[in-house]
Amino acid sequence: MKDFLQILIVGIGDGSVYAMLGLGLVVIFRSTGVLNFAQGEIAMFSTFVVWTIHDLGVPMWLAVIGGMAGGFIIGAIIHEVAVRPVGDPHQKPLAVVIVTIGLFLGVNGAAQLIWGTVDRRFDPLFGSGSVNVAGVPIAWQKIGAMVVLGAIAFLFFVVFQKTKLGLAMRAVASNSESAGLVGIPVPRLLMLGWGFAAAVGTVAGVFTTSVLGGLGPNLMQLTLIFGFAAITLGGFDSLVGAIVGGLIVGVLTSTLPRYVEQFEKMPLAPAFILILLVLLIRPQGLFGKKDVTRV
Amino acid sequence: MTESTDSVSSSDRSPAGPSQSPADGSTARTVTRARRVHPATIVAWIVVAVVVIALPFQLQAFRVNQMSAWMTIAIAALGLNLLTGFNGQISVGHGALFGVGAYTAGLMIIKVHSPLLVAVLAAGVVCFIVGVLVGLPALRIRGLYLALVTLAVATLFPLAVEQFNSLTGGNRGLEIRTEQMSSRGFMKMLPVRLASPFEGLADDQWQYFLFLAATVICLLLTRNLIKSRVGRSLVAVRDNETAAAVSGVPVAQTKIITFGIGSALAGIGGALFAIDLGQIYPSSFTIVISIYFLVAVVVGGAASTVGPVIGAVLYGVFSDVVIPELPDRLQPARAVILGVLLIFLMLAAPGGLVGVFKSTKAKMTIRKAAKAASANAAA
Repeated sequence: MKDFLQILIVGIGDGSVYAMLGLGLVVIFRSTGVLNFAQGEIAMFSTFVVWTIHDLGVPMWLAVIGGMAGGFIIGAIIHEVAVRPVGDPHQKPLAVVIVTIGLFLGVNGAAQLIWGTVDRRFDPLFGSGSVNVAGVPIAWQKIGAMVVLGAIAFLFFVVFQKTKLGLAMRAVASNSESAGLVGIPVPRLLMLGWGFAAAVGTVAGVFTTSVLGGLGPNLMQLTLIFGFAAITLGGFDSLVGAIVGGLIVGVLTSTLPRYVEQFEKMPLAPAFILILLVLLIRPQGLFGKKDVTRV
Repeated sequence: MTESTDSVSSSDRSPAGPSQSPADGSTARTVTRARRVHPATIVAWIVVAVVVIALPFQLQAFRVNQMSAWMTIAIAALGLNLLTGFNGQISVGHGALFGVGAYTAGLMIIKVHSPLLVAVLAAGVVCFIVGVLVGLPALRIRGLYLALVTLAVATLFPLAVEQFNSLTGGNRGLEIRTEQMSSRGFMKMLPVRLASPFEGLADDQWQYFLFLAATVICLLLTRNLIKSRVGRSLVAVRDNETAAAVSGVPVAQTKIITFGIGSALAGIGGALFAIDLGQIYPSSFTIVISIYFLVAVVVGGAASTVGPVIGAVLYGVFSDVVIPELPDRLQPARAVILGVLLIFLMLAAPGGLVGVFKSTKAKMTIRKAAKAASANAAA
């Protein structure tokens, strides 16, 4: 039982990270209709930015904020330079997929060029200690991930539901054409969306380093698949779905390998099966809006 | 050679892709119908043939080997193009099928001691079946979502190979050895190789010509398929599924068969790849190789018959000839250049090189026609 509790909490902690990456994916998908395959690589890149700032002697939490700002700028630039000019993803999905794959390659290569391929040591944001709760040791890092996810979720809620900016962003997500007609600067908001997504991704990247025990150019490649599993389960256009989906995927990937031997070396397999099943049985996920096409 | 000559002009006749403006497409179509094969095209193809045949005699053995590897990529890219370019089903996981083909061929050779040709064909058949199975869910999952699923497959494949290490050798790799006559004259297990039956032809050159033949056969097969009834259904399903279904195209069947054939080609490419290297590792079949197939297809020109081959060769030249010139520190620049190139292509020339060639040709013909018309009017 104690064992199970511990695994469960590790799962929720990891799931919080998937949820963060998922939130970024959803923000982008809702507003621009792009499944951003480069989301993980952008997060990896800005995590390297955090590392660099920290390496200069800046305290970790300040470095993370710096990295988020860096990520925001990178995301916004990528949207302006690479994504927006391609056009409507619903009209030409192939072109958009190719562009995000190009970003995947390009950002990964750029990180290797700048920081090399050797893994860097990355100090855990919340230290490497743990706390005993009713005899179950829980790493501070996992608690930190949950708290930070809560904070991000609260921030998203406030921004999207309580501010004018959020209202405009929701308008763009719901119908960008009409939003443009009532005077909302659509392209600028899409750019902001990409920026937000990359900034949240930075935090996901920082937490992933402590799961993998270091920072390298391949940091986010598995996390990205888990993030995709999370938003597939939660629904591609639902922020709540990303959080719930992320937590469920985290718990599944931490508990299943314990009971099913075959998954032990392949925690990715349950995530893949989940993606496939959800897309086949309930493509809109748990909280997503059903996709209706008019003929 | 005349057949290949035809392929350049005939591909003009296929309906314009979604990225091409309808005006471009229709002019190209009417123009080609009115005209016979241009002598310049024939000359161009003869030059290509002569160069391709002469190259292995001019270059060093390791270059010839590299070119053989490019051809395995070209074959897989032909399969991906059928699926993604012509049928519009986006796959980011074709590398997994390439890997399935490679491991099938490797295991056939090691465990069953099958002849190499049988191993290659078996890889094609196995991948056809796997492709059909993968194609089943693709009936419900399309567009971006299909890309997502295939991305997951691509990430999962090398891990699965490691998981079943008793069969695949896991991370240590699968060494493909066959019983061969050693130089001292007795039978011994040696790494697989294609021994040349001709005096004047070195092993690497023999392999090059065998692979070339395989590539040409696959190219002709896909070209004929595209020109057939099935090929027209493929394109119809891509352009408008509902309209295709209404016109009597069996949409589900078409999609699944395309998945099967596209995968079989990837499998054949993978089998040749395994024979070429003699040893395969799970790390050879990561998401990266899937991306390279996409690069080959997109650079050459999605939905053009020869495009993927051109793309694969260009990619090969880039990664085997240009990049090694860079100092070690700058090696990752290869990914950056490829990434930027992909994005730039999508923005500037979504039809790839073949697309650029076609639209320039169409523009020139229009200009010529306009000139002739004005000359007529003046007279």
